Amino acid sequence: MNTDHVPASGTPVRRKEDTRLLTGRGRYVSDLVLPRMRHVAFVRSPVAHARLAGIDTTEALAVDGVHAVVTGEHPALASVALRAQSALPGYVETDQPPLARGKVRFAGEAVAAVVADDRYLAEDGAEAVVVDYDPLGPTVCAWADPAGITDPVHDEAPDNLLLSRTFRAGDVEAALAAADVVVDRELTTNRHSGNPIECRAGVARYEAADRRLTFWSGTQVPHLVRTQLAELLDLPEGNIRVVAPDVGGGFGVKAVLYPEDVALCLMAIAMPGIPLKWVEDRVEHLLAATHARDHRYVLRAGFAADGALLAVRADVWCNTGAYSVYPWTAGIEPLMAGGLLTGPYKLTDYECTVRGVATNTSPSGPYRGVARPATVFAMEALLDSGARALGMDPIALRRRNLILPADVPYRMPSRLVDDSGAYEACLDRAVEVFDVRRWRAEQIRRRDAGERPIGIGVALYNELTGLGRAASAGPRMPFRTGHDACTVRVNPDGGVTVFSGVTSQGQGLETTMAQVVADALGVAYDAVDVRIGDTDESLWGFGAFSSRQAVIGGGAAHLAGGHVRDKVLALAGALKEVDVADLDLRAGQVHVRGQEKPIISLAEVARVAYLQSDRLPEGFGPGLEGTEFYDPIRGAFAAGAQLAAIEFDPTTGAVRILDWVCVEDAGRIVHPVIVDGQIAGSIAQGIGGAMYEHLVYDEAGNLSTGTLLDYLMPTSGEIPELRLDHVSTPAANPTGVRGVGEGGTLGPAAVVAGALGDALGVELDDLPVTPARVWELAGGRP
Amino acid sequence: MKCPPFEYHRATSVDDAVAALAAAEDSKILAGGQSLVPVLALRLARPTVLVDVNRIPGLDGLDVRDGVLHAGALVRHAALARQALHPLAAAAAASIGHAAIRSRGTLGGSLAHADPAAELPAVLRACDGAVVVAGPDGTRRVGADALFVGALQTDLAEPEMITGVELGVPDAWGFAEFARRHGDFAVVSVAAARFGDRLRVVVGGVAGVPHLLETSAPSGTGALDEVAGALADDVDPSSDLHGSAGHRRALTRELARRALADVITEPAREPT
Repeated sequence: MNTDHVPASGTPVRRKEDTRLLTGRGRYVSDLVLPRMRHVAFVRSPVAHARLAGIDTTEALAVDGVHAVVTGEHPALASVALRAQSALPGYVETDQPPLARGKVRFAGEAVAAVVADDRYLAEDGAEAVVVDYDPLGPTVCAWADPAGITDPVHDEAPDNLLLSRTFRAGDVEAALAAADVVVDRELTTNRHSGNPIECRAGVARYEAADRRLTFWSGTQVPHLVRTQLAELLDLPEGNIRVVAPDVGGGFGVKAVLYPEDVALCLMAIAMPGIPLKWVEDRVEHLLAATHARDHRYVLRAGFAADGALLAVRADVWCNTGAYSVYPWTAGIEPLMAGGLLTGPYKLTDYECTVRGVATNTSPSGPYRGVARPATVFAMEALLDSGARALGMDPIALRRRNLILPADVPYRMPSRLVDDSGAYEACLDRAVEVFDVRRWRAEQIRRRDAGERPIGIGVALYNELTGLGRAASAGPRMPFRTGHDACTVRVNPDGGVTVFSGVTSQGQGLETTMAQVVADALGVAYDAVDVRIGDTDESLWGFGAFSSRQAVIGGGAAHLAGGHVRDKVLALAGALKEVDVADLDLRAGQVHVRGQEKPIISLAEVARVAYLQSDRLPEGFGPGLEGTEFYDPIRGAFAAGAQLAAIEFDPTTGAVRILDWVCVEDAGRIVHPVIVDGQIAGSIAQGIGGAMYEHLVYDEAGNLSTGTLLDYLMPTSGEIPELRLDHVSTPAANPTGVRGVGEGGTLGPAAVVAGALGDALGVELDDLPVTPARVWELAGGRP
Repeated sequence: MKCPPFEYHRATSVDDAVAALAAAEDSKILAGGQSLVPVLALRLARPTVLVDVNRIPGLDGLDVRDGVLHAGALVRHAALARQALHPLAAAAAASIGHAAIRSRGTLGGSLAHADPAAELPAVLRACDGAVVVAGPDGTRRVGADALFVGALQTDLAEPEMITGVELGVPDAWGFAEFARRHGDFAVVSVAAARFGDRLRVVVGGVAGVPHLLETSAPSGTGALDEVAGALADDVDPSSDLHGSAGHRRALTRELARRALADVITEPAREPT
């Protein structure tokens, strides 16, 4: 047997989950079939804002196969409310009922639930529920004049303002007065959403005899869901088991505990022994799963003649939608926007007021990149305007202002601490790979030849990943998402099972955790099996968001693997009477350092630990496992740069991406293919938001883009060949990784808008960049 | 998104289908199902009976007689895209949706559905074609100009069924469309066909029915711009989420130029 240990990290090992996911044997919530299971369909409000004058369920109950119709006034639900909490001054707490009570606040809000033998019958029943809506004045736009509000979304906030905060550093007015050039921009970003291929789904089962609730859910955050359900349902947390089986994409949309989830669990408790299943369809998803990025930015920036960025003043409105998203609060987008607007640029004088404004639209929630695809668009637009006003090359202007390695740790004006400083390295590499000179020459050639114009777009960004307890303090919620746990267990046969608090929605966390544990423990990658997503199996994890799992879950896995390795070596040393300091564990074999022949195998050590207590040396108890938590305290900033050459056809408005380069700093890469997949996927979603995806409401608050016929998601036909490259500055955490889950989404809006400006000499103030818009900006020749 | 309840009848012949359609109050033909099934899933239609015509034999033929392509109503878009008898129909069919849609969707279904942005209605009009329709009182022939009455509306009565399609093979042709994404319904499409000195140019996506400009085939320099300009002036598009009226007019002009480039200056080409 070859005892050389080949590190699993850094190599493209075969993904553990692929055998089942690529052969159609994934186990999703919708695959779950339980005895006596019934199906739920929700009745959703067709109006944006109305008092509920009455709900008549008689006809629905008469539909064959319908067993129950539940409304918000049902005794099991009537006293329950989701209330996203934050201690931030000025934050207005509001309630979200599991099913609408008293009034509806957005078109798509669930007002009743029908329980039937199958989903067809449940929908038949839902059609037969008669709801009497007494219309109220809807608010759709978050930056409309508050004087026009006739009926506030929540009585607690008469001006619809749920949250407001000003970030202030230095003296922005003085810095603007001293600036050689001042530029103003007013920007609007397009509401869009994550739209995972698997919509929301849940099965809830309650066993009355032992008061146990099991909730299978396509959630990104099972432990958090368990805690929240325990509070909302008044059950001991130990009586609740939340299972996230295979999940088909999340992107933040599934990091939320939804009213439908809570309603499903409450109904299951009211119908003990009958599992209730709800599998959301795409129409419901577009209507009622969280939206994002409906923002307005009013910006002013000052530059010195040499290009130094002197001041940024910003007023930001984020459309919160009808409810303060649970549990993240209405602060999720505005606080991120204000905290990270200035990105990877040095700045001392900064003032930014952010607002979360309630409207009669679907609630806004976390979506991959949270606010920063919009803030990077805003910041890069300021820099592009600055470059134009100064007559400077836009790349040179950016380079002039970057946070450099010598500046690190850099205290941003929002007081977040940037530990990266790899921005210039990313930019340099991107410029080289992209070959800016070649594209500039092509641009001039086309201009001279009268061919279709091309523009070069550039975006630099700092992605705050793996937020520890200090970095996640901002929203002041009643929990800090800084840590995760991992348990590494050596089984009696020497195999290794890992119970990790991370979750996976397709991004290969089983593989990543196995790689980290294999290396930390000293076993082969194939010897490690990883269990995730089940709160009865793993101790604790906050789940998938904020590009945190490789950093934090990976850190915990590394520490737990090391902990068990120490135990193995200690027991091996005692068994073989060798000084533990001389021992090493490689590929599942214990060696005296420097010697080829192992002294004992991990399997034999495990056999002693579990089965042969008579052989246990003095001071050793049975068993062989260890659990560790990890919290990075701060976060790991990940630098990124994107450059693209894009052709614009002034005649039709067609947009054609000719080249797209992205360079990111993932620190020490665990799995190169997974990392590239994360970056490519997030750029694709970013391009979707930049060019295609737009959730449009009319003035009455009806969603005009209610199906995928009108809500356009990019397909492989729209996404260009992406050229990805890397720089590597390992972070100060156990594995040296920086998160890569979201960074790619941050660039595309800025890149496409910048390229458009560069090609046509125009300033684009709104998204998405559609052919109709391009045609208009190019002069709108009929 | 589950369809409401309906009865299902699998027709064995055209007569059987027509009888089944006539027997129910609100019946609907199920052919490729690429438009009907989503509409059912959204509960925007609730027919009492679906008459499945997919197994009716003899409705998938394709042949040319006397310069006219005779196609069965059940010819799938994929088959239409593959054939070389009528290159304009092939080019238009190749532009429909995605592979899965083309392998199920049918020629007769697309014409009966009469989506104003769809490719095949535009082709039918450009070629001054006709559909053969079976009904309780026998068969009749409906010309393209009479078939399309409005958006999603045709001259067909409820128990009637398209059984065949006749498309003249043009001497020269062109097809161009502009879609937001690969496979989307076109924002604007243009189909052009020349028969001798007669030119028919049809614009899809700018009105409730495919918009026709019929003229004697122009020649000489500036002819192309002249026709494209006349078309752009002639259409009266509306604005929606995917394009403003002005943008659609500009697209009409540009796509007409592209479609006519082959018609006015070049002989027929191979389908692309």
